[in-house]
Amino acid sequence: MSFLCRFFVSEIMDTSNPAILVNGNLLPMHVRKRVRTVIQVLNSERGSVIGKSTDDQQLVIKGSPPSTPLTNFVEVIGIADSDKSIQAEIWTNFGDNFDASSFNQLCQLANAEYQHLFL
Amino acid sequence: MSINLTPNSIAAINGGDLNLKPLVQVLDIKQIGTSQERYRLLISDSVSTHHAMLATQLNDRVKTGRVKKGSVVQLIDYMCSDVQNRRIVVVLNMETIVLDCDIIGNPKLGDMTAQKTVSNLNSAQPGRSVYDNRGNMQSFRPAFNAQNPGSNNMQGLQTNPLLQSQGMQGSHPMLMVPNGSNGVLRSATGKNNNNTQTYAPTVQPPYQPPPSYRNQGPIMKNEAPARVIPISALNPYQGRWAIKARVTAKGDLRRYNNAKGDGKVFSFDLLDSDGGEIRATCFNAVVDRFYDVIEVGRVYLISKGGLKPAQKNFNHLKNEWEIFLEAASTVDLCPEEDGGSIPQQQFDFKPISEIESAENNSILDIIGIVISVNPSVPILRKNGMETQRRTVGMKDSSGKSVELTLWGDFCNKEGQNLQELVDSEMFPVLAVKTGKVSDFTGKSVGTISSTQLFINPDIPEAHVLSDWFARIGQNSAAVSISRDLVPSGSKNEIRKTVSQIKEEGLGRSDKPDWVTVKATITYFKLDSFCYPACPLMIGDRQCNKKATRSGTRWVCDRCSQEFDECDYRYLLQFQIQDHTGLAWVTAFQESGEEIMGYPAKEVYQLKHEAQDEARLSDVFRSRVFYPYLFRLKIKEEMYADETKVKITVVRADKIDYSSETRHMLDTISRFRRY
Repeated sequence: MSFLCRFFVSEIMDTSNPAILVNGNLLPMHVRKRVRTVIQVLNSERGSVIGKSTDDQQLVIKGSPPSTPLTNFVEVIGIADSDKSIQAEIWTNFGDNFDASSFNQLCQLANAEYQHLFL
Repeated sequence: MSINLTPNSIAAINGGDLNLKPLVQVLDIKQIGTSQERYRLLISDSVSTHHAMLATQLNDRVKTGRVKKGSVVQLIDYMCSDVQNRRIVVVLNMETIVLDCDIIGNPKLGDMTAQKTVSNLNSAQPGRSVYDNRGNMQSFRPAFNAQNPGSNNMQGLQTNPLLQSQGMQGSHPMLMVPNGSNGVLRSATGKNNNNTQTYAPTVQPPYQPPPSYRNQGPIMKNEAPARVIPISALNPYQGRWAIKARVTAKGDLRRYNNAKGDGKVFSFDLLDSDGGEIRATCFNAVVDRFYDVIEVGRVYLISKGGLKPAQKNFNHLKNEWEIFLEAASTVDLCPEEDGGSIPQQQFDFKPISEIESAENNSILDIIGIVISVNPSVPILRKNGMETQRRTVGMKDSSGKSVELTLWGDFCNKEGQNLQELVDSEMFPVLAVKTGKVSDFTGKSVGTISSTQLFINPDIPEAHVLSDWFARIGQNSAAVSISRDLVPSGSKNEIRKTVSQIKEEGLGRSDKPDWVTVKATITYFKLDSFCYPACPLMIGDRQCNKKATRSGTRWVCDRCSQEFDECDYRYLLQFQIQDHTGLAWVTAFQESGEEIMGYPAKEVYQLKHEAQDEARLSDVFRSRVFYPYLFRLKIKEEMYADETKVKITVVRADKIDYSSETRHMLDTISRFRRY
């Protein structure tokens, strides 16, 4: 299912506390802010998950993932606590097939000329 | 400057001199004839005038203004015949010498009967320049008349008494001064009038063997061989003619039966060195004489045949006439070196992209690389006979591809050959001569009985094409002009929004519009969503015509048969909506099943047999508000004095979000420019 569907279906959009769509390159611009991104799980341990961003950067996702096993692609929403890590609050399984390049382009559009549509 | 026309030439022509090649002036040009374009000239020799018909192959000289009223022309080739007590002169070839000229002399209108002899004319002509048969200037070669009997230009020469009498042999060097605007030579031998430039060019007459008369008696027949003329000059008014041409196609021997009894016929197509083509037909006894003699690819000298108008329904050669060979006709095989200048085949290839705009049922030649071959399918024809059908995909450097439909024998012979080549990845070049355009599904080309297929022909176009394919073609996508369904993954379809259908007036032209629309189903018409269909097979397809009740059984009009069980097929009408608007569309069986998820029969039974209204509306409700990528065929249709734009769903695809997203991202990038 498309990530856009999940956007509306899996949570009521909370405009009071928006999360900025980021990828690996955009994360540094939003440290200490609420962000959301999709990563491909590379390594999963208790307390943190190493993931690959849609623009091939390695990110550390801290926090406790849900009890259900993680799928290949996961969306995380949380506070960016450094250039390369996110303190995740919400974890959502996005399945094993995901169009990473389209998501990546979305991140770019959402942070550049179409920013006003997202925040 | 004043020009001298050939004096008394009108009289001479009427007297039967066909070798004069006189200079005459065109006083008038009139177009006559209702079905065919024919021009009638009024020609003058400055003293008398005569009407002459222009052979149709010269029509464009008048149309392009190369011959006008007042033009001085040299009649190169012409015929005289007596029709209904009138002498008709037909001009077969002429050269315009002066385009614009005031009327020369004081010509009187009225037919002249020949009185003067040829010799009188000769002595009256001072000075001459020499043109070869094509009206090109040639420098004077003193000994030309005897020495070059076999040259193509002169077609052999007979000793010209005119020149000899004027002593124009080697000892008199001629000073040829080309005159820039008119290209006429001025002789310096002093026999000219100094005040006027004498325009009296002559062309050495083509080799005319001296008439040979047999049977010295009251009736004498000229048995000398007729001279070879180009196929394009053939016409029924032509006297004795001969053509030398290569056989490019040989038809089958066909037998028939009509009021006169049994008969047989066969035809063959001819091509000569000028590119002229004509069909020749033989009937009955003539078939026996020539059927085994004629072989495709060989060159023949053909003479003494009749000419009649070509049957355009069967004969697609570019000639208004066809030859019919008779008892007196002669067909002689020529040695190969004789026909060296005659090509094996003549093609007029059109790029595949031009087929899209070609008229339905038009005939054309195409050449392309074969990229796919489908298996043969037996087809039941209207006359009850079964035949084979096979489709072949071809593409060329225009970036378009087309489906070629092979019928009958082509399926097993060339079709099989092509299959093997494509299977082993040796995509061959295929040249199609005389294919017929069809607009059944998009535009495609099909074979007819006179079609010829050439696999990997040794012609320059084929080499260019295989070169293109190896370098570019095999990796480039081609847009198909034949199939209406776009193969998945290929983004060649036109995307529209629902409102654009009405805004842009889609479907209003004489051809349907095919577009893709992403929209959501918002409402189903529940009343009649399917119809009873005839399940009987016609060839490889189901009849599917609406069946009508006949007691407890069903009957089909097209098949004229009854059957117990009918099939049920979807005829779904529903509303689709996107962010721009809404529209009503109709979906048939395939797309209907895709949308409903159930076979039409089941839903029908739910409504009419189980009478389960609740379940029925559940089924429909569950299918509503789903988005699809609809492939639509939009066409305006007449419904009892009213035209309505009908939208048919040809395909309903569930959205593939990944590719749809990429499409949207692409669209976004394109309107970022504002």
